[in-house]
Amino acid sequence: MTRLHPFTLLTIAGALPALAWILPAPAGAAATAAVALVLTLTPGASPGLTGIGSSPGWRPGLVVLRAALLTAAPFWVFLLLLHDVPTTIAIGLRITTMVASFVWLVAALEPARLVEAMVAAGWSASVAYLFAATLTAVPMLKARAQRIAEAQRCRGLSPRGGIASRLRALRALALPLVLSALHEVDERALALETRGLRPGIRRTTLAPPHDPVVERAARWVLLLACPAALVWRLL
Amino acid sequence: MKSLTLEHASFWYPATEAPALRDVSLEVAQGEIVALVGALGAGASTLLLVAADLAPRVTGGRLTGAVARRDRSGIVLPTPWTQASGMAFTVWDEVAFGPANLGWPAHEIARQVDRALEQLELVPLASRDPATLSGGELQRVIIAAILAMDPGLLLFDEPATELDAAGAQMVWRLMRRLAGEGKAILLATSALDAVPDVADRVVWLEDGAVRAVGAPDLLADVAVCEAGLGTSVATVWRASGLPGPYPPTVAHAVRRWR
Amino acid sequence: MIPALCFDGVTFSYGAVPALEQLSFSIAPGERVALLGRNGAGKSTVVRLVAGIQQPRDGTVWVGDWDTRDCVPEQLAWRVGSLFQHADQQLFAPTVRDDVSFGPRALGVGVREVERRTDHALEDLDLTAHAAHHPYDLPPALRKLAALAGALALEPALLVLDEPTAGLDRALSARVIRALLERSAGGVALLVVTHDLTFAAEALDRGLVLDRGRLECDEPLAGLLGAGPRLEPLGLSPPPVAALSAALDLPDRPVRAADAARALARVARGKGAP
Repeated sequence: MTRLHPFTLLTIAGALPALAWILPAPAGAAATAAVALVLTLTPGASPGLTGIGSSPGWRPGLVVLRAALLTAAPFWVFLLLLHDVPTTIAIGLRITTMVASFVWLVAALEPARLVEAMVAAGWSASVAYLFAATLTAVPMLKARAQRIAEAQRCRGLSPRGGIASRLRALRALALPLVLSALHEVDERALALETRGLRPGIRRTTLAPPHDPVVERAARWVLLLACPAALVWRLL
Repeated sequence: MKSLTLEHASFWYPATEAPALRDVSLEVAQGEIVALVGALGAGASTLLLVAADLAPRVTGGRLTGAVARRDRSGIVLPTPWTQASGMAFTVWDEVAFGPANLGWPAHEIARQVDRALEQLELVPLASRDPATLSGGELQRVIIAAILAMDPGLLLFDEPATELDAAGAQMVWRLMRRLAGEGKAILLATSALDAVPDVADRVVWLEDGAVRAVGAPDLLADVAVCEAGLGTSVATVWRASGLPGPYPPTVAHAVRRWR
Repeated sequence: MIPALCFDGVTFSYGAVPALEQLSFSIAPGERVALLGRNGAGKSTVVRLVAGIQQPRDGTVWVGDWDTRDCVPEQLAWRVGSLFQHADQQLFAPTVRDDVSFGPRALGVGVREVERRTDHALEDLDLTAHAAHHPYDLPPALRKLAALAGALALEPALLVLDEPTAGLDRALSARVIRALLERSAGGVALLVVTHDLTFAAEALDRGLVLDRGRLECDEPLAGLLGAGPRLEPLGLSPPPVAALSAALDLPDRPVRAADAARALARVARGKGAP
């Protein structure tokens, strides 16, 4: 799956949520959600989302699925509080598709390959890097969160216990995570300038991903499927 | 031939009243190593950012005076992990990131990367994932990555903080070799004891201004020692009450002793 | 007397990569120990094991009479104050004072006691002037000191620090040395990972040298730091003061600056000033 061209991965990750919202619920949304969740089983142990400290007991192949389910779960809770059951299911499945597609994309798409693909297609290196940086943001934040959480535990903050203390632990982690991440964005902008990322220079692609005709055709089919589905629904 | 010339340069960071650099005039010639020493906040890092054309262009702020550069510059920041691309599969790819951004042809990139990896003794690590490297290994990788862009003016901000003794020695020796090849090197460091063996000239910065310039034995000067910036040997010699001039290194002390 | 820290045949690996092999040593209360060795020798792993973030595969890590296998890091905070690498990135409170006081507050000591411990830690490192500042408004070197203050404020029986002076200039390193000497005079045991042998000579007494996960040396720094031929194969080299003492053959081969200055003066008086 990771050998697919980055644009193919992007197309899939974009088409699935689009189709989820376009196709009639609950059947259409359930189908796309199912596809998205199955996809999360494909990347295997992705270095982005796994790592030292991931909970034991979950087989590596299921880590991405677990991340998707955990991220989607709070939405279901809020929906149940606000809506009746059918609406909850309809919207919930669509949101699950979006979440699972994004989580899968982060796990399956290697940022370096995306940069190479975009530059090969004519995009400037800075823009390509910006796109790719949003992908690396998740594992970087996760690594940083883990370091901060460790440091906090070594000063006595217990992440266990009841809801109240867990919420407190979460809040103690969230603020420094965001602050240090923002601070780092500043530093990184400066640092990346030092690596030659300037507008106007055409970056050399060292290993542009292979883009077979079959994949390109499949991408167009997927892209066209979305407006086609829309038209079908309106008629 | 002068690689870098600053004339009466003053710099203010954005929204700051006090200047970070005050009326600094400095020259670095090709083949020369100039060391910047000073207390925290004295302006060494800022001076390097100005020399690298990152201040005020990227940092914001205001610069007065003249800065002239003859060569392309490369800077190694004191936080090398921020300079990592974050998207290289291997150390080789990481070092190639810079040259690729400069748009060089693939064979030229390969040549520069291989050379840089050799210079930093990183060849055994070439296929490692950069995310698994230790702090010291990553610092060496970033140095290699900057060298691979073949800058004529090299700016180092505390290049050995994460390195062990052997790693630090390697970096200092590498700098002398690079100077021998004609590179101009400006180095900010708090490793005062290493400076006499590395630098050709020393610039003492205090509160953003140049307080003194001289040969490395400046670090054995009375005023410098009094400011806490003397080498360990000079400081001990002075504390023992022996008369000056104080020897900056063990070798100098041995010669004086005889 | 129970040691402040004891490693008993500890073996640890990161997956398939061995990190520590049958490591055994113990540190008494008030002892000041340097953990030395090349990059990758296993020093940071030792810190993580003491803090309880990782557990040994074989052997036992004893913090006082607690087996770290039976503890979680937040429990060990009662006895161990730790400082990790890149501590400047681990601050998390809106002000320096809040961050430093986090530890004692988490331990649940009374409000007055929290104040006292926080003030003491800030004073020890001369950070009182910055107490109300936001940590990220300070330069990284001062942030590192703030992180160290946070560990000191726990007032633990054992401090385990990973490169506390990396990135600090002479003046700031001197603050760290003073603070650590003062704490150990009060009975706190110190285990400090460092590349900075000058700092080790001034602040610490005993050296443990790791090489590829094994303990190669365990002896007083006074003798070890001047022994060039022994240090080199371990990836170390004598710091300038020790090298000076050896080169000038000063009596007792002092490794601390003040001692070397005194010895130098004495010998110079003896032979007439050079």
